[in-house]
This record gives sequence, structure tokens and C-alpha cells, in this order.
Amino acid sequence: MTGVVTGGWEFVWAAYGITFAVLTAYGIRLASHLRRSREHEDR
Amino acid sequence: MENLNAPPFSAKAVRRAWIALGAGLVLLAIGTYQGLFVAPPEHYMGEVQRIMYVHVPTAWNAMLALTFAFFCALAFLWKNDWKWDARLEAAIEMGVLLSLLLCIQGAIWAKPTWGVWWDWDPRLTTTAVMLVAFVGILALRHFVEDPRRRAVWSSVATVVAYASVPIVYFSVQWWNSLHQLQSSPQTVDGAMVTPLRINSFGMLFLLFAFTSLRSQIARRRLAAELAPPPAPTATLATGGER
Amino acid sequence: MRVVRAAFRKDLLLSWRGRAQGMAVVVFGATLLLLLSFAVGPNATTLRQLAGGFLWVALLFSSTLALTESFRLEREHRAIEGLLLLGAHPAAIFYGKALANWLHLFAVGLALIPVMVVLYDPGLSGIGGLIGILALGTAGISAPGTLHAGLASQIRAQQVLLPLLLFPLVVPVLIAAVRSSSLLLLGDPMGQARSWALLLLAFNGIFWPLCGLLFGHVIEE
Repeated sequence: MTGVVTGGWEFVWAAYGITFAVLTAYGIRLASHLRRSREHEDR
Repeated sequence: MENLNAPPFSAKAVRRAWIALGAGLVLLAIGTYQGLFVAPPEHYMGEVQRIMYVHVPTAWNAMLALTFAFFCALAFLWKNDWKWDARLEAAIEMGVLLSLLLCIQGAIWAKPTWGVWWDWDPRLTTTAVMLVAFVGILALRHFVEDPRRRAVWSSVATVVAYASVPIVYFSVQWWNSLHQLQSSPQTVDGAMVTPLRINSFGMLFLLFAFTSLRSQIARRRLAAELAPPPAPTATLATGGER
Repeated sequence: MRVVRAAFRKDLLLSWRGRAQGMAVVVFGATLLLLLSFAVGPNATTLRQLAGGFLWVALLFSSTLALTESFRLEREHRAIEGLLLLGAHPAAIFYGKALANWLHLFAVGLALIPVMVVLYDPGLSGIGGLIGILALGTAGISAPGTLHAGLASQIRAQQVLLPLLLFPLVVPVLIAAVRSSSLLLLGDPMGQARSWALLLLAFNGIFWPLCGLLFGHVIEE
């Protein structure tokens, strides 16, 4: 399949957006886990 | 002999992880900016090809995470040291996360390029199989309560799952080659290499940071699970009322 | 070696005694073949092309039942601990069990072939080769299957965990077995079936030793 694929920015944004959103969400989850367990330990 | 105590929680490791995370985010910001706005569009695939600047780094790091998981599993089976189990847990989770992202990115790339969401590309299909395999191992860890069995069994399952990667890849590639002729572009233009490298390192720092943090969380949980039961209180000993 | 033979005979004996269960597994597989044909519709050409694929899918699903069953009695009577206490090497226990499971799965596959032939109507000329592929493929399912069944039998969620853990591992077996079966049944002008058979052989060559080595970790406390 040859030829030029025109446009397609929405796919690019989708790919990058989902990737960074998921990674950010995971990072936030890790941070809150650490914070919660540290409070639990200090108690 | 087995190290019976849970590995200690290291605040220093956590600090180091946050620094790595910061560095990784900076690199990813630079690399993504370059990939999206500075690098030239590809001749045939146009702007869609820019997905490569996040897709290839994800692929390399997913494979790295799963390979690290494999070595953690071997290390645990050999040394019986709990820190390897903590690292294994973190590595598998990161491997699953990155593999999932890889499949999603691959589908988003495939749709405008080939017209279908999934084109059974051998690398992506092997990733999908690995994703299922390691999600299964996470499920295994979830359902086993005894920490020792959990560690041993998930190590065994990881070794077997990882050992199957080459043969899965080979069989899918051969199966697919009978039907398809196209493949994704192999050669990368000079101007495209830089954002690719920057993003790859950025994601590597991210992987290191997340694995480190997740491993510390796992250590905390192990400490709670392996702690000896609390001594009986005076009330119980005297059989006090109420 | 003696332990392997003893374990093998014990499992065969147990299988024979519980042959009602074994027949239920075959009925399950046959039902699957029937249901899968409904998914396709009564188009004879399509059904013929899918005969090899559906046979192996049905066999794979049936194998989880058979594998789970092979460890049920051990679990209920703590038999494996007993064997270990008597000094049996875990790998020997594994090979005895895996060989018995292989035979069991092979028998189920043999029983399913006539059902497949009746429902899907492929040509009969390749049946000899198909039986060979059946042997190789069921061996490929049996080795990792026995390992993971031993593991899963000790967990309460075993019914979902065994398929979840096993199926990704046996993807190469499925691909190779389906491709070679289809070629043998429908015609193989370029003689590719042999290459797929070699892949199955390679898979067995890797996983029978590997799973035997790891089985000890699965059953020891």
C-alpha cells in the first residue's frame, strides 16, 4: 500500500495523549500509595 | 540460606527515584516536542508516523521491563532474597503497563496506515500474548496470600512465560508471513534519530523511577506480611472478662 | 526412572478408574465443536477450512478440564507431600504426571477427530499425519499444562488461573498445530506441514526439560 497518508494529527494526539495520561495516572497512584503507607507507619 | 526478614524500606531509593522521574519527564518533554514539531514528516505516512517517537521508546522499555522481571525471577529462585520478589512485582507491573500502551499505540498507528486496528504484526502480536501472560501472573500474585508461595510461584511463571517469547515471536511471524507482505519501515532518517533517542532515555528514566518506587511499596507490604504476630496482651493471658 | 514409571502408572490407573470424568471431557470437547460450527454457519466450504483450527481450540479448552482433574485427587489427599516424603524427586513426579496427561489428552484428541470429520467434512487423506500432529501438539500442551495445573490446584481461583496462565504459553503450539492440521486436511502442495511439525518438536524440546526443572518449586512448601 503506497501513497501519501494525509493529515492524521488526531491519531498522533490520541497516541501521545493516552500514553502520557496512563503514565501520569500510574505515577500519581504510586505517590499516593507511598504517602498513605508512610502515614500508616508513622502512626 | 533464605533471608527471612523483609527487605528494608529505603527512603534514599525513593528520593533517587523522584530525581530520576524528574529527569525522565524533562527528556520526554524535549523529545516529544522535537518529534512532534521539529522532525520532518515521513514521506509516505505523513504526520501519523510521528507516533513512532513514543511507540519505539515504549517498545524498548517494555521489553527491558519484562527482561528485568525475568532476571528478578531467576535471582529470587536462586538467592531466596525477598528484595528480588519486591523488584519482580514492580517489574511485572511496569512490563504489563508498557505492553498495554504498546498495543494501544500500535492500534492507533495501524488504523490510518493499514485501514484496520490490528494487522497481526508479529512484534505487536507477540506483545499482546506477553501482555496476557503477565496479566495472568499479576492475577496469580493477587490470588495467593502466602508471601513465600506467591514469590516462588510467580517467579516460576515468569521464567516460563519469558522463555516462550522467542518461540511465540517466531511462530507468529511465520504464520503471518504467509498472508502479509508489508512491514513497518526499518530505516530511520537522520533527523528522526535524535527525538527517538531522547524519548527512549526519557522513558528509561521513567521506567527506573516507577520500578524503584513500586518496589519500595512492595517491600513495605512484605514487611507487614512477614512481621511476627503481636505478643498476646495481658487481658487475654489472664482470660479477663468482657 | 523407576519413580517416573510408577507415577505414570498411578496416574493412568487413576484416569482409568475415573474414566467417566474422561468421557465427560470428550463430550465437552464435542459440544465445543458443535457450538463453534454454529458461530460459522452451515457454509460447507468455510467449515472445511476451519476444521483444523476448531479441533485444536476445542482440544485446548478441554485440556484445562483434564489437567485440573489430574491434580484434584493429589490435592484432596495431600498425595504429593507423601511422595516427596518418601524421597521421590519432584522432576520424576512431574514427568510421570506429564506423560500420563499427554496420553490422556491424546486420547481425547483421537476421540474428537471423528466428531470433527462429521461436522466439518474435511478430506480424510491427511488423517495419518494429523494423528502425528495430535501427538506433538498434545505433548506441547501437557508439559506447561502439568506445571501450571500443579500450581493452580493449590489456589482457590484455579479455574480461571489455569487457562489464564496456560493459554499464552501454548500460543506457538496452537499456531503450529492448527496450521499443520489444516494443511494436512485440506492439501499441502508445498509440503509445509513438516516445518510446522518441527516447530512443535522444538517447543517440546524446550518446555519438557524447563517445566521438569521448575516443578520442584511448585510442589515444595
